Amino acid sequence: MPAAPAAAPPHRRPRLRIAAALAASAAVLAACGGSGEGTGQVVPDAQLTVAMAFAPGAGYAIDTDDAFVLSQLGVTETLVASGADGQARPALATAWEQQPDPRTWRFELRPGVTFQNGEPLTGEAVANALDRLAGVEAPPRAIKSIGLDAAADGATAVRVTTTAPDPVLPLRLSSANTGILAPSAYASTPPAVQGTGTGPMTLTRADGIQSATLQRNDTYWGERPQLAGVTANFVPDPAARALALSAGDADIAQELPDTATLEFTGDEYTNETVAAPRTASLQLNQSRAPFSDLRVRQAVTAAIDRTALGEQALAGSAVPAAELFGPAVTWGAQEPPPPADPARARQLLAEAGFGPENPLRVELGTYANRPELPTLATAVQEMLRAAGIEANIRVGDYDAREPDLLAGDYDMYLVSRSYLLDVPDAGATLQSDYSCAGSYNINRYCSPEFDALLAPLASETDPAARQEVFRQASAKLVTDAVGVPLVHTRANGVGHQVAGYTVDPLAKTLVVPGLAKTG
Amino acid sequence: MTALLLRRLLALPLVVVAAAVLVFLLPRFSGQDTALAVLRSRTGEADPDPAVLAALRERFGLDGSWWDQFTAWAGAVLTGDLGVSYTARTPVSGLLWPALGVSLTLTVAALVVAGLVGIPAGVHAARRPGGRLDRALTAGSVLGVAVPEFVLGTVLVLTFAVTVPVLPATGWGSPAQAVLPVVTLAAFPAALAAQLVRAETIDVLGRVHVTVARSKGLPDRVVLWRHGGRLALTSVTSLSGLFLGGLLGGSVVVEVLFSVPGVGRLLYDAVLGQDLPVVQAGLLVVIVLAALAGIAAELLALALDPVARSAVR
Amino acid sequence: MSAEVVTGRRFAAAPWVRRLQRPLRAGAVLLLGVLVLVMMLPLDPTANDLSQRFAGPSLEHPLGTDQLGRDVLVRLVVGARISIGFTLVVLVICGVAGTLIGTLAGWVGRTLGQLFQRTIDVLVAIPAILIGLVVVAASGGAPGLWSLLLAVVITGWTPFARLTHQLVVRERSREYVEGALAIGASPGRIAFRHVLPNLSRPLLAHLCLRFANVLLTVAGLSFLGLGPQPPTPEWGAMLAEGRQFMFNAPQLVVLPALAVVGTALVVTGIGRALERRRPTGPSGQF
Repeated sequence: MPAAPAAAPPHRRPRLRIAAALAASAAVLAACGGSGEGTGQVVPDAQLTVAMAFAPGAGYAIDTDDAFVLSQLGVTETLVASGADGQARPALATAWEQQPDPRTWRFELRPGVTFQNGEPLTGEAVANALDRLAGVEAPPRAIKSIGLDAAADGATAVRVTTTAPDPVLPLRLSSANTGILAPSAYASTPPAVQGTGTGPMTLTRADGIQSATLQRNDTYWGERPQLAGVTANFVPDPAARALALSAGDADIAQELPDTATLEFTGDEYTNETVAAPRTASLQLNQSRAPFSDLRVRQAVTAAIDRTALGEQALAGSAVPAAELFGPAVTWGAQEPPPPADPARARQLLAEAGFGPENPLRVELGTYANRPELPTLATAVQEMLRAAGIEANIRVGDYDAREPDLLAGDYDMYLVSRSYLLDVPDAGATLQSDYSCAGSYNINRYCSPEFDALLAPLASETDPAARQEVFRQASAKLVTDAVGVPLVHTRANGVGHQVAGYTVDPLAKTLVVPGLAKTG
Repeated sequence: MTALLLRRLLALPLVVVAAAVLVFLLPRFSGQDTALAVLRSRTGEADPDPAVLAALRERFGLDGSWWDQFTAWAGAVLTGDLGVSYTARTPVSGLLWPALGVSLTLTVAALVVAGLVGIPAGVHAARRPGGRLDRALTAGSVLGVAVPEFVLGTVLVLTFAVTVPVLPATGWGSPAQAVLPVVTLAAFPAALAAQLVRAETIDVLGRVHVTVARSKGLPDRVVLWRHGGRLALTSVTSLSGLFLGGLLGGSVVVEVLFSVPGVGRLLYDAVLGQDLPVVQAGLLVVIVLAALAGIAAELLALALDPVARSAVR
Repeated sequence: MSAEVVTGRRFAAAPWVRRLQRPLRAGAVLLLGVLVLVMMLPLDPTANDLSQRFAGPSLEHPLGTDQLGRDVLVRLVVGARISIGFTLVVLVICGVAGTLIGTLAGWVGRTLGQLFQRTIDVLVAIPAILIGLVVVAASGGAPGLWSLLLAVVITGWTPFARLTHQLVVRERSREYVEGALAIGASPGRIAFRHVLPNLSRPLLAHLCLRFANVLLTVAGLSFLGLGPQPPTPEWGAMLAEGRQFMFNAPQLVVLPALAVVGTALVVTGIGRALERRRPTGPSGQF
């Protein structure tokens, strides 16, 4: 066994260094900037305990969000790997190519891979897994309504067809939901996950939403896993996870309260905070007054101090957002947003006909499922007040409000939304959220220029070219003041005496072969 | 005694039917789309696709009338089939029974702790009403009644897991992990038992047969425990029946606070995810158990108290 | 009826308790005055100042500020309006409904009385927290003051009804009732004009004891996120919010906790003082 003391994980994500952007929260940064690899010697064949934030509520069903748990625990793997750079990389498939008929892609499978129970990874097995996934009553976001159909192409390849040409199909097959399970897994509903994955860890015991036990997969095709076993405890309460870590009940804890991460400094801690591909935005209803007026929207944008929201209101748990896409992705804005300008906000409001005699009164809605949203709403209300806008906060259930939002019956609504929808490509989000025909266009924004900008995405396969479109689209949204992107959520995690631990902003990886405990 | 038992047992089906109707109807008063909620609990932020929602509704039988839905569900429950969870897609019984086991363990442990602390405290306080010990114990019990589980639990965590980290604050499985949840849950019944036992014992000590026993020269301690203690126990027993039911549900806070995988947390998650089969079956089982516990406690109290027993006859 | 075992307390209240009664009463009056005053104050619990986060106590902010630079004292006071005001509303509804139902049930005869007993048995068996969960489910997953009200009231009236029922059944056999019956007064008139007024004192004592119970239930439901949503400063919700700052600002947990427990203690004290001044009667404190 290669006892490398500071083994780098095989597919380490580009870790975000936001120090320059966030000088004010120096304390947080001091904790997350360094000591990424632990200090002591790697302990071979150790047992590791993780306090995980998300519990598998759907019985580890691969078509649900539980797939992220499986993927993070190193149980399942996908055909393609991908990261925040939007590039597809080999995983269970070693190569892929769009066929002359652009609706079909052919994936060459990695030879010699077996499932943890010994079944071989064949074209037949992969096609079966993908077709089962596409056949569930509510297919996951990544492959929803694309008409995915897979067929074996000999023993070592698989052909995947969609109803329309799909330029990002390889990226879609990097979604955690498309993890490949052995054919025998599908004898039950939801599919059985014990011994049916291909990943470095085999799930040996699943104890509901309480815990899971995993053992090293000795037949793993890649680098030999350092850990002999992993125990995952699902602890939904953030404060409780922090306590578990400080008490030594866990070696790694995900998503700690931000004030708690300050506790875990020093050489024995790996304390990481990365920007996640998620933006909390203030949606402004353009289908009616007052936000049909560009000047009023710009006034709101100018009134809000986004830097203060991220660093103070949310105590550094979020990155101030300059635009829709943030530093989590390569095409996102790396620059901080412009500072607030209440004077300009007042002036714009005056031009639009609002002033001290005729103040602008609006309702600011949001929901409480994400605890940061009411906090943001409270801080935004105060900032708007300073600019002469009276916003009345209304917190309620999102599902109940959604029909109103989609029908354009609201003023301002604060939402938190992932802009990647499980695939490191923003095309789907831009289409559904901002195009005229978009199914989720809460802002009620409709610009033919914008739609024309998105047109090439239908066929462009080159990541660089696509990302250039994303940049232009995002800039156009800023120009037209389509809502106000407030902050980008951050993901954090702390490891105690571990090596090879990184926080994946896309929430796909955690237990990797290089993860180890140190002495 | 037998007549009472019969009466109570005959009333039980009534309780069950009423509870069944209640737990079935209440969640359905919502204007909420169960299919959408289920979809969102499987995959967060899923855009509602009308075709998918319709398919889900059909498979869950949500498109039929309430009466059809109720008879179908009630019929299945009568044959022991609690249905299949919407989110987990596994039989409800597989989720419910283990969770119930955890909750019962937690609750019974809390009740035992409460009894072991509360009853002696009450009896000792009653020996000299107004004495120093009585004052201290009464103050403690008043505080115990006024401090809710979520405050006590948080304070205990703050003290024994943050400030002086000696106990784990989460999880379930090891005895150490059980300490904080059990103590949190036991405080209220212990305080109430202490108050009750104190009042009862003082009352009993004034009764004739106790005075007789005393005059026969029995030592105070013996009189206190043999007569006072035993009579006081009856009221505590009947109270514990109510507690068992109350604690089963009341442990929701404790289970959520300490990440204990009990029936309270199961129900909490199920309600938030609109997992109706789990909500219905879970509530029904808890209510029936609570009713049974009430009957058992009542009978036990009768068995312990000869005076009340003759009164019932 | 097993609760009959819980008979009166034929013992003198401890001297320290008696000594405490007068200050307690004075304290209660004072508290009431302060509360009325506070209800009048125009306070904004969401006014925040991000440059003043987690500030310690100062003249401007006597209890310091929270994670958004909001004044903790202001939030506690506004929280008192919500928590205490809401509890009072719940109690009035439960008290009126429970007393009416209990009086009627005590008067209508054996069969209906039995039915009433069994209904109560069912409802008492269901803890308010569970009802709260179901009501939140029934309110479309949008918790708020209304669903909270419903959750507490559904089971909250039963102790009142049970107590009134017991008392009415006992009072019925009293001489003044038999006298009234003899001179031909209608049962309804007797129930509400003669019997009910005689029970007002035990009911009032019971009301105080229930107050603490309802207050704690409401705060507990809010703590679980089943009540008013942030930024509404309900005490239970404030405590829940403060938990994430437990490490570096424990006062955000401790202060709302003290407010809840302190209020419960004071009102319980008043209730006990009231209860102690009547000779006998079921305590019904569960």
